[in-house]
Amino acid sequence: MSQAFTKSMARNIFYGGSMFFFLLLLVLTFDTVESLPQTDNRENLTAQVAKGKHVWENNNCIGCHTLLGEGAYFAPELGNVHKRLGKEGVIAFIKFRPKNGIPGRRSMPQFNLTDDELDAVAEFLKYTSEINTQNWPPNIQG
Amino acid sequence: MSKKQLMTTKITKYPPGEIIIWLFIMAELMVFGLFFAAYAVTRIDNIELFELYQQNLDTTAALYNTIALLSSSYFVVRSVIAIKHNQQQDSFKWMVLAIIMGLVFIIIKTDEFAHHVSNGITLSTNTFYMFYLSLAFFHYLHVILGLIILSVIARNINKGAYSAKEYTNVETGASYWHMVDLVWLILFPLVYVM
Amino acid sequence: MKYTSQMVAKPYFIAAIGLFVGQILFGIIMGLQYVIGDFLFPEIPFNVARMVHTNLLIVWLLFGFMGASYYLVPEEAETELHSPILAKLMFWIFLIAGAATILGYLLVPYATLAEITMNDLLPTMGREFLEQPTITKIGIVIVALAFLFNIGMTILKGRKTVINLVLLIGLVGLAVFFLFAFYNPDNIVLDKMFWWFVVHLWVEGVWELILGSLLAFVLIKTTGVDREVIEKWLYVIIAMALITGLIGTGHHFFWIGTPGYWQWWGSIFSAMEPIPFFMMTVFAFNMVNKRRREHPNQPAVLWALGTGVMAFLGAGVWGFLHTLSPVNYYTHGTQITAAHGHMAFYGAYVMIVLAIISYAMPMLNGRKAANSAKSQIVEMWSFWLMTISMVFITLFLTGAGILQVYLQRMSDNPLPFMVVQDKIELFYWLREGAGVVFLIGLIVYIASFFIGKDEAEPNEA
Repeated sequence: MSQAFTKSMARNIFYGGSMFFFLLLLVLTFDTVESLPQTDNRENLTAQVAKGKHVWENNNCIGCHTLLGEGAYFAPELGNVHKRLGKEGVIAFIKFRPKNGIPGRRSMPQFNLTDDELDAVAEFLKYTSEINTQNWPPNIQG
Repeated sequence: MSKKQLMTTKITKYPPGEIIIWLFIMAELMVFGLFFAAYAVTRIDNIELFELYQQNLDTTAALYNTIALLSSSYFVVRSVIAIKHNQQQDSFKWMVLAIIMGLVFIIIKTDEFAHHVSNGITLSTNTFYMFYLSLAFFHYLHVILGLIILSVIARNINKGAYSAKEYTNVETGASYWHMVDLVWLILFPLVYVM
Repeated sequence: MKYTSQMVAKPYFIAAIGLFVGQILFGIIMGLQYVIGDFLFPEIPFNVARMVHTNLLIVWLLFGFMGASYYLVPEEAETELHSPILAKLMFWIFLIAGAATILGYLLVPYATLAEITMNDLLPTMGREFLEQPTITKIGIVIVALAFLFNIGMTILKGRKTVINLVLLIGLVGLAVFFLFAFYNPDNIVLDKMFWWFVVHLWVEGVWELILGSLLAFVLIKTTGVDREVIEKWLYVIIAMALITGLIGTGHHFFWIGTPGYWQWWGSIFSAMEPIPFFMMTVFAFNMVNKRRREHPNQPAVLWALGTGVMAFLGAGVWGFLHTLSPVNYYTHGTQITAAHGHMAFYGAYVMIVLAIISYAMPMLNGRKAANSAKSQIVEMWSFWLMTISMVFITLFLTGAGILQVYLQRMSDNPLPFMVVQDKIELFYWLREGAGVVFLIGLIVYIASFFIGKDEAEPNEA
């Protein structure tokens, strides 16, 4: 009787195990997509919010900031910035960035957004701040 | 096979089966153990919610399922003993019986899941259902995997691949199947009865 | 070298190292911007430098994977590459597309780049690591398909080894999961969720298959240990990688608007993700201890051992530190994540590519098996310089992260982000210092290709 652990057994564990957990991932993914309407705040996903997401993307905001904790860690979290600054505060902050930065400080570029784009990105951040994130971040500072 | 034969069958090596399967069984029990512990701790915090929704579970179905898995495990034991005595036909017969009892479990459990789905219950319904469905479904997938393993072994027994000299794979599959059974024996009282 | 078509690997390796240098230079720039906020502003804002830093990393690792495949697949399959011409053509297409994209990042504002590449037709830009213009993404898919075709045909007509098979599965997975990069819904939660199907299922999924097969190849070649043993290890390691890593995806679904149950699923499974990396370390040392020969190429063995240890530390230990949801609640999106990311990428993927380059380059340069003793010593110096400085980068970022978590998220009076950043400035200075040492290590590494170039190789002991 052979006691040796054979290669074909190792192979079966690999194929069997990966298929098993891939299927499980598919099932959980399906369940998540089905239940997202309860948490993702989609009832407030207006055309302006969608537009704001494009403004957000086209200016690579994620290159410095985090959004719900994902992104770069160079500048503040923006998932809850709406709660921190309010819509007008957000717009004013983006609008009045000095073109050449602030000497010696981390500086946000002047993106020259139109008023409509400013409104859109602020709406997008308002929408994001209302997503159910299981109470993350721990406090208002993000 | 006589009762005497059953008694005199010695364990020739320890642990039985491939050593790697025991590492996997340990890993599996660790994962289930973590889930069980998490369930128990969360239950203490939400005792009313859990007790309320536990009443909605079909304890009778779960009892049938317990019997199905227990008898299935017994049949697997008989299959291993038979192969150790070179009785390939008996071994095959017992293995098929074990698979049939496993399928009974799957049918009953699928019906239970279908019942939940038709009532619109998902993982996100509440904390109790999150745990119950996660645990039950994760175990359910293990039963399916175990059945696939047993089926492959049954086919090989039928082809004459195993004998009294070479039965490691039968023991390996049997060990895995007992683990699946064991997990259910914890899951059943913890989730349905307690 | 057994097959002449293996030569196509050489330009891939050279390009990989060249882009690696670029990546590190931009890393140094970013490190400086962390402490001197307006450094190079507004010419190279931080987001641009970061985009270049991360995209160069991905592109050079892909170059490394492709070069490694072109080197190893013919040797394993015992046949010439299906089409060396196609491989050369794809090299230039990929290099030019990559260079054009990086220049695009640097020369025009990102919004302008989005406009001229017509991002609105199929918006895919502006998401972390997937910043490439849509047209570049399509180019990547075309290059990947041509590459897979070339490799697949070679494997099909030759000997089918486990290493080739696992490598192929990994590469196909890489291409398939990249397709999620084209899915960019307006719903940010869906967007984030499926974004991880690229990022997580790459680095904590199929890339581990590539890593495993490259490591197995280098170990077979340098230790002479029986193929059966190594292949068995390979299967078990990648099985554990996927068993833990697939559901481990859940550790990214804690706080992005996905259901709460992921905190359980994600914590439990990702807590086991160190297991395959630990096995990889044991594997590498075991095989080297059981070696049947002393391979004359010592640095290649060193890189192979190094990747085992550093991947376990970076991906395994530093990953575990913040993967449990109650911990991650406080550490999510802080310098802790940055610390983990740096060491994990270096240990798992940078080092394995350098290992295969180290093993293959002497042969690609017409040598029998190894560089001269002098060159090897220089290369081993670069190993220690880069590896130790990466350990320090990780430690300093961890220090910064712990303070950040405490001051910004846990103390009685949580401070604003920028106030905290000022308070932890010292750690960023130290990190930048370690980064400079890393760059020096990289320069030494490149020097090793030129030092002792004309001297004979050491004899096999």
